[in-house]
Amino acid sequence: MAENMNTTTMSQPSESPSKPGEDNPAASSAPPRPQRVPYHQIYKLPAPIRTFPLPSFYPSNPLSLFHLAVAWLRQVLLPPPAEPSVIHEGIWDPDTRSVHVKDPKSIRALWEQGFYGKGSLSRSEPNWFKRELSRRGLDGTTVSEERTVSRREERKQVKWERAKAELEAIEKQKLEEAKLNSETVNAAVPESLAAESEPEPQVLPASLPDPVLSATSTAATSQAAPTDEFVPKTVAHGHIVEPKPPVGPLELLALPNSYALVRCEEPVLSQPEPATTEENVRKEFKPPVGPIELLALPNSLADLVALSVVSVLSEDIGIDEDESSQSEASALTNDEPETSATKVTDTTSSVSSPLSTDGQPDSQPAQEDTPATPERRKSVRFSPTVESTTFQHTDAASEVKNHNGSSDVEAISSAVPAVEKPIISNVEPTVFSEELVDKEHFQLAPEEAFFLAFGLGALRVVDPVTKAPISNEQLLIKLRANSYFPPRSVDNLSPEDPFLVQYAVYHHFRSLGWVPRHGIKFGVDWIIYQRGPVFDHSEFGIMVVPSFSDPRWSEYEHEESKKTWSWLMGVNRVLAHVLKSLVLVYVDVPPPPVFDEEMKKGGIAAALKKFMIREVMVRRFSVNRNR
Amino acid sequence: MEEVEEAEDAPTADFRLFASTYSKTKNISAQTIRKGGKDFESHGTRAQASALDASREAMRDVLSYTRVHNPKSGSRGWYFPDWWRDWPEDWEEQQKSKGGKEGEEKEKIPPLHIRDRVVILEHASVASQSLGRAATGLPKDRPAKGRDWLLPEEALYLVERGSLDLWWPTRGVEEIFPADGSVAAAAAAAAEAEGEQKGDGNEEDEDDEYKYGFPLSLQAAYALLIGEDGERGKVSLQKFQVFSHLKRAGYNVIRAPTTNLPPPVQDDTQLTTTTTPAKPKTVTEWLISCLPQSKESSPVDPPPYGPLVPPGLYRSYNTIYNHLSLRPQASPTDQPRVPAQSPETDSPFKIHYHIYKASTHFTRTRPPPPDFYISVISATSTTIPTLSEISSLLASAPADLPKTEWLTGGPGRLYARLKHGYRNVLLAVNDHGVINYMRFAEGGFAREELFRGFDGRVSGEPRRGGGGGGGGKKSGNNGRGSRGGRGGGRGGGRDYYPDLPAKGVVAGR
Repeated sequence: MAENMNTTTMSQPSESPSKPGEDNPAASSAPPRPQRVPYHQIYKLPAPIRTFPLPSFYPSNPLSLFHLAVAWLRQVLLPPPAEPSVIHEGIWDPDTRSVHVKDPKSIRALWEQGFYGKGSLSRSEPNWFKRELSRRGLDGTTVSEERTVSRREERKQVKWERAKAELEAIEKQKLEEAKLNSETVNAAVPESLAAESEPEPQVLPASLPDPVLSATSTAATSQAAPTDEFVPKTVAHGHIVEPKPPVGPLELLALPNSYALVRCEEPVLSQPEPATTEENVRKEFKPPVGPIELLALPNSLADLVALSVVSVLSEDIGIDEDESSQSEASALTNDEPETSATKVTDTTSSVSSPLSTDGQPDSQPAQEDTPATPERRKSVRFSPTVESTTFQHTDAASEVKNHNGSSDVEAISSAVPAVEKPIISNVEPTVFSEELVDKEHFQLAPEEAFFLAFGLGALRVVDPVTKAPISNEQLLIKLRANSYFPPRSVDNLSPEDPFLVQYAVYHHFRSLGWVPRHGIKFGVDWIIYQRGPVFDHSEFGIMVVPSFSDPRWSEYEHEESKKTWSWLMGVNRVLAHVLKSLVLVYVDVPPPPVFDEEMKKGGIAAALKKFMIREVMVRRFSVNRNR
Repeated sequence: MEEVEEAEDAPTADFRLFASTYSKTKNISAQTIRKGGKDFESHGTRAQASALDASREAMRDVLSYTRVHNPKSGSRGWYFPDWWRDWPEDWEEQQKSKGGKEGEEKEKIPPLHIRDRVVILEHASVASQSLGRAATGLPKDRPAKGRDWLLPEEALYLVERGSLDLWWPTRGVEEIFPADGSVAAAAAAAAEAEGEQKGDGNEEDEDDEYKYGFPLSLQAAYALLIGEDGERGKVSLQKFQVFSHLKRAGYNVIRAPTTNLPPPVQDDTQLTTTTTPAKPKTVTEWLISCLPQSKESSPVDPPPYGPLVPPGLYRSYNTIYNHLSLRPQASPTDQPRVPAQSPETDSPFKIHYHIYKASTHFTRTRPPPPDFYISVISATSTTIPTLSEISSLLASAPADLPKTEWLTGGPGRLYARLKHGYRNVLLAVNDHGVINYMRFAEGGFAREELFRGFDGRVSGEPRRGGGGGGGGKKSGNNGRGSRGGRGGGRGGGRDYYPDLPAKGVVAGR
């Protein structure tokens, strides 16, 4: 739920909300925002009902008597309205089987006073509008989702650095071993031959410490051979001075294991020639892993696609490019795919940049198709900073493409910042500033809506068409019928309706003071928070198991749940991975005669008392750790 | 703390660690063995290759170790499936009550399961110290008096372990174990060995080694001792697998009584949920009566279709939540209101073994209260327990309350209390030999009325009164932060097999 996004704010409440690296002119120029209201004040009320406690009187503190007197006088003279003083209005929506709330005040109240519902465009807290504002830089605030993103970036950075450190350690180890090797060879060579040292330093010295090792270590050295050349090659590019951590699929493929195989097939490449490394890299074997490579396979229509893309592009753009260059490009596409690809991307990038300054985003999708280059260079570079993997609407698509798709990295990387930067600063504030409206509404799950209406009386559900209020009795029937798909008729309802079973569990935990929220993200029915998603992580995931232990159930049709053990282990595994523990909540459903009788006698309030709730805590038991 | 228990146990043997323990001559010390890192593929360094090779070498060393059966440490058992067949199961209780010392010694002896004891031990050995039982109170003239008898799983475990020779008798018990206390067969074997030493192979001598019976192979032992569930003198394969797994893990395991004990009665008086501290009544109560009426009284019958909380003025959230409560007043240690447990008599969910930690001081005849109660369940033929099954299973285990400091620790130990539960049973879910142990515990959410802290929170007191939310929050954050940084770096990155360097290289993994 919302727990991830709240951790940062709770741990660093005084932190300045705007990120330092962000180019956010509005935030930096805006006056310092008022002190953030602490969460325990925003989310003060545990339920949408206020209480009016009388101040307690301390004999040691005479002033408290005064407080008491004031409170007494005020309440006698000016009695507060009956609680719940505000009855929110929700609209029953049969399509989504939820209750929608549209009034912003009600939305905030329901969220803040007990964490009911969720925003239709948000994970839980309805803050799409705020998010949108801060994304456009109109508002100085940051929303928790942004913090989540930034924390993910940090995490990615940490992982990247860890991988880098590991790879560096390996490289260091290799260097040391190579040095050790050449020393031993050098020591051995002058005795046997007076000639120069051998060109292959990887030859196994006879004085290997352990004869048993010989089998594996020959393999190891033969694998070490390409990597020794691999290092100078990467240096020869001039882009990479640091070793690359093997995080991407391409790097993983380029790791010695597969590399060695390639080299075995192509012994010509094993000669380390610094002059031709560029060519070597191009001609390297590329496993067809990506869609682009797959398209570039011989029996595909890659050539045709490339051709049509070029022609379509130039037509769309309407640039007066001379026919000769285009035909030249198409001719090249047929003859030499490599150079034509370079050409194509070069032309498109040069073409696109003036266009995008005009603010026509239509040209962007067309560009997306161009990277159908039949040949791509394999070397992937690691920039010292981790690029974001989330793309905003305003992000230029060409920037991404240029880094991946084109071969002429130097030219474009120098061209891109110069072109793209001004676009962002020009376009952003002007286009969206005025017409931003809050398009988000608030959804209450059936259980939440019924609890608010039936338990607290703080919600009035109205019909979507007639806007007439729906009584709790009618609402219950509606919700029960709609807990099946397709919705059942009123006559077919039974005590084992999913809504009733789930609601019994929901009501059980709500009435104890827990905050239950839907737990589908964690593979369970409910997760319960002690105080709310803003304050703490949920510690328990709840799986509802309806059971029919009453012997009278044998006369009625019912669906006995037969869950397998593998199901239970799976649920438990997933929950353990998010540090929650599993609670199986058995709901003993009363048989229809009992249920009907109670419904007649005392309504749903009496009938719900017949739903026996029993919690069973489940966790794995490790034999090794409990000895 | 709790998560540690949840964490993955490392079942795979680290052969280098193993090698270092059994052979001090190999210069591998347990300290130098690197744990935690897992190499996914070879990266061509010689260090990796040599580490892999050292590990392989250690594995070869361990596997090539020659096991020898020291005849002195081994013991011999004879298979007599029918000796106790018609013996009354409650023989010992009868004897004890006949013995007369009623009030003086009301010691609870573990059930003997005498009819299931099919293997008689010649001599006690180190391996059988915690296994087997001798029937007490037997008449003096009964043969094999005072000898230890093994249950089938115990015998099979010892045979598999190599510390028991199972023999098929060709004579009766009274011949092999005469009533005078001697062991005829042992004497014969000793004489035979002596005779061989002397070298005068006396063929005519009937008193040879195989005069009383023949040794049985391991296969034969399995065939004799493994059977269906409920077969007398046999044990089901699933139970034996769990039994031997627990024994090899170091636990002491005894069979639980077959008859379901009446659910133990205990007083939970000290456990009743803490009621709100009664506020000191002020003399100005009549002043309060002047105030607008507050809905303090809990209605007997709530309105049929709500709202359960009638509109009005409230002074405390306790009142509101009391209105909301639709719970039958039941405490978790109460007997569940599950209808008669009669249809569940053939339920597989029964306590099968009592388990003692290795650290618990354990004697065969006077075992302390068990540390765990375990039920062995087939993963394929059963589904997760129904309410009545789990209720009767939990009811057959005694209450196991959370630690007292948790109970008195207030809201701060809320999660510890809830997770521990109020009584618990282990389930060994056996899927053809792969055993998954799960702990099922009675939850006590109804004891923890969180709304008791709401008033303090709303009245603006700092977050102390908020039911321990602050403390839990902080630690949760830390835990997650470090975890998030580590987890899933490379394909999960968790060290399930810390012993296998260069996993990608090892053949077959």
